[in-house]
Amino acid sequence: MPIVVEKLTYTYQAGSVNAFTALKDVSFTVNDGEFVGIIGHTGCGKSTLIQQLNGLMLPSSGRVTVDGFDMNDKKQRAKGRALVGMVFQYPDYQLFDETVYKDISFGPRNMKLPEEEIARRISEAMRLVGLDEKEFSDKSPFELSGGEKRRTALAGIVAMYPKYLVLDEPMAGLDPSGRKAVIEMIEGFRKTLGCAVVMVSHSMDDIARSADKVIVLRDGTIYKSGTPAEIFSEAEELNEMGLEPPFAARVASRLRKQGVPLPGGIYTNEALADALSGIKGGSADA
Amino acid sequence: MLKDITLGQYFPVDSVAHRLDPRTKLILLIMYITAVFIVRDIWLFGVVIAFMLLMTAMSRVPFSYVMKAIKPMRILLPLMFILNLFMIRTGTVLFSWRFITITTGGIKQALFIVLRLVALVTGASLLTLTTTPVSLTEGLEKLLTPLKIIKFPAHELAMMMTIALRFIPTLLEEADKIMKAQLARGADLESGNIFKKTKAMVPILIPLFVNSFRRAEELALAMESRCYHGGEGRTKLKVLKFRMRDLWAILIMSALIALIIVLQSTLSIDGVIASFVLGLLGIDR
Amino acid sequence: MLSLKNVSFSYESGSDAVKNVSLEIGDGEFIAIVGHNGSGKSTLAKLLNGLLLPTSGTVTVNGMDTSDDDRILDIRRHVGMVFQNPDNQIVTTVVREDVAFGPENLGIPTDEIVTRVDSALKAVGMEKYAESAPHMLSGGQKQRIAIAGMLAMEPEILVLDEATAMLDPIGRKEIIGIVRKLNEEKGITVIMITQYMEEAIGCERVIVINDGSIVMDDTPLAVFKRGDELRSIGLDVPAAVELREMLKTRGIADCGDAMTIEELTDKLCLSLLKN
Repeated sequence: MPIVVEKLTYTYQAGSVNAFTALKDVSFTVNDGEFVGIIGHTGCGKSTLIQQLNGLMLPSSGRVTVDGFDMNDKKQRAKGRALVGMVFQYPDYQLFDETVYKDISFGPRNMKLPEEEIARRISEAMRLVGLDEKEFSDKSPFELSGGEKRRTALAGIVAMYPKYLVLDEPMAGLDPSGRKAVIEMIEGFRKTLGCAVVMVSHSMDDIARSADKVIVLRDGTIYKSGTPAEIFSEAEELNEMGLEPPFAARVASRLRKQGVPLPGGIYTNEALADALSGIKGGSADA
Repeated sequence: MLKDITLGQYFPVDSVAHRLDPRTKLILLIMYITAVFIVRDIWLFGVVIAFMLLMTAMSRVPFSYVMKAIKPMRILLPLMFILNLFMIRTGTVLFSWRFITITTGGIKQALFIVLRLVALVTGASLLTLTTTPVSLTEGLEKLLTPLKIIKFPAHELAMMMTIALRFIPTLLEEADKIMKAQLARGADLESGNIFKKTKAMVPILIPLFVNSFRRAEELALAMESRCYHGGEGRTKLKVLKFRMRDLWAILIMSALIALIIVLQSTLSIDGVIASFVLGLLGIDR
Repeated sequence: MLSLKNVSFSYESGSDAVKNVSLEIGDGEFIAIVGHNGSGKSTLAKLLNGLLLPTSGTVTVNGMDTSDDDRILDIRRHVGMVFQNPDNQIVTTVVREDVAFGPENLGIPTDEIVTRVDSALKAVGMEKYAESAPHMLSGGQKQRIAIAGMLAMEPEILVLDEATAMLDPIGRKEIIGIVRKLNEEKGITVIMITQYMEEAIGCERVIVINDGSIVMDDTPLAVFKRGDELRSIGLDVPAAVELREMLKTRGIADCGDAMTIEELTDKLCLSLLKN
């Protein structure tokens, strides 16, 4: 069963002079196991939207259901929320306990799981994020390096075995190797847990590489949604919105302008290279 | 959004009251509080209230806005009124039934208490409505500077106030994010008794503290990088200047206090001091 | 002129964060210092204006030693420093007042503070926000205010310690554009500490730090030719260089030394037309 967002509208400070509608009539579905990327420039409503997915914020109108649980309903919300794991931008928002082990156990413990199940899940989560259990279990989360903190925070969510994993800018502030590691971890979660992923990111290249479906938000409405090929092949359109398309898409768009007959739908280096070698072969024949 | 909270609820319009020197306004507030406390006559109190209304009009802040300050006291005020009404038994008995007795003294005292509280709170809120937190801090620093002789840390106090004002919105926003992050991990902040609820706050308070300490450290580095080395030898972007209007404002307020003192015919200093002390204690003669 | 001679630094807790670094940075240079998280690049930044003092070796700014207590204010006035977290470097509740904070500390007369604040805000394009509350601004705008706060002290050197790391792509571009302009128009030396390789492309010189030591110090062109070495220390090459290398290995096109998307597409067109 999916997450279904229906005609979702959200207004901050409704009724006051400062009322601001952050989301307008947004509808979409996150299917089981799907990877949905959400893009849009700062202030387009991305953060507000993902907080609706587990009921941290409630719609002003419209409805969000998680596997049929209506998030507007207080009792159903708790059940729905348990299915959605939410990773915030900075790990510093959630790390609090004396040891890494205890911190990761916070979520599973709140789910009232039996002790041996909690232990099993923590081992699994630590393995998935690449933290050595022996080395890190008893360390204080506050002594860790930035990258290790992020892994611990991720493990804390993954140990809850969410059916849907929602990530808000999980790569912000990381160096290139750190970014790669996070992408690989997310792939690992999907393989092992079979969870669906909803990821908000400014990095179009990362979204292009992993997403099954991309949603473009603009001024609180869904401007466009579709496969990465559909979204990213229109490089100019994204540029106008202040979004930087994947590098290969930008190169392809420039080459087309300069008269190189490239087909549409190119947004990865590999596809671009293939297309270019085709053209080269073709023109050599001529 | 929590972000939109404006502290001290400054009301941005241009008026005489807004243009007064913050030091003048602080002095005026102190004088006004004195007036509110020394006034013993209910009719003279009317004069004080009229003065307050006049100041509100001059500030061009809508009356309803000034009265908003009373909202947090909507339970306290009726309670004070009722308590005083029934507890004070001086003057003529107007009504008596079993243990309930209402006297003229009680009515007067109850009215006084309520009016005094309203006058104080609205007066103080008029100050914050017409003065930005920044200039308020500046005024306070300047007024307290003479106290440096007795090693009173006037500059440090003002700096602390400035930083607090700067960071309160940031910290509120952060608290909100932390709370959401923990709720998403299944934290239960609502059910259980007080002890349980307090314990449930730990996962929110610890990240908030840890982050605040880190912020403080980073802010200290940033301030050092900008050559901060205490108040010594510091100059100011804005220099406060007393003008004619400041003098007039203080003269008018002084006249009001003089009027109260004269009309209450408590010309002796002892009488004024006694009135003030009694007023502070909330005792009416 | 900034010079580091055999500088080492270790935090009380552990091993050397900076190891025997020697470095000369001339007036008006535009430099990127890159390294992965924890490579020691931020520690290096804090050594440049005396926030940290070397455990051994010396750091001098225009001949002034950072360990000389009497010169420290002068050094910090010369070396402006912008940090990573935009929220944690703005001190007051009004933009104008915040930009004035540095000059106030330096005891500059009021009239001059006013002119300095105005021109600093103009230089970063934030004059419209002079009376705004900092917490209502975007991350990029806050960083522009932080830069203005430094400019108001009229520094000769501007150090950006991962000042773009917490910004979105638009904010990042704004900041890079502003510091580039300051370098070109006002001749301010810019030292950008970053982990975004794209930001290093337009610099004159890229210094690569790994494990507290300088491992490369060269032009971007030369540094980015050593892609495998960069990747082995947790870094990367700009996207154009990556694509360029791929096209070359697959024998599709030789795009020479292209580092930007413009250079790459121009070279690609040329090479495709040749066939």
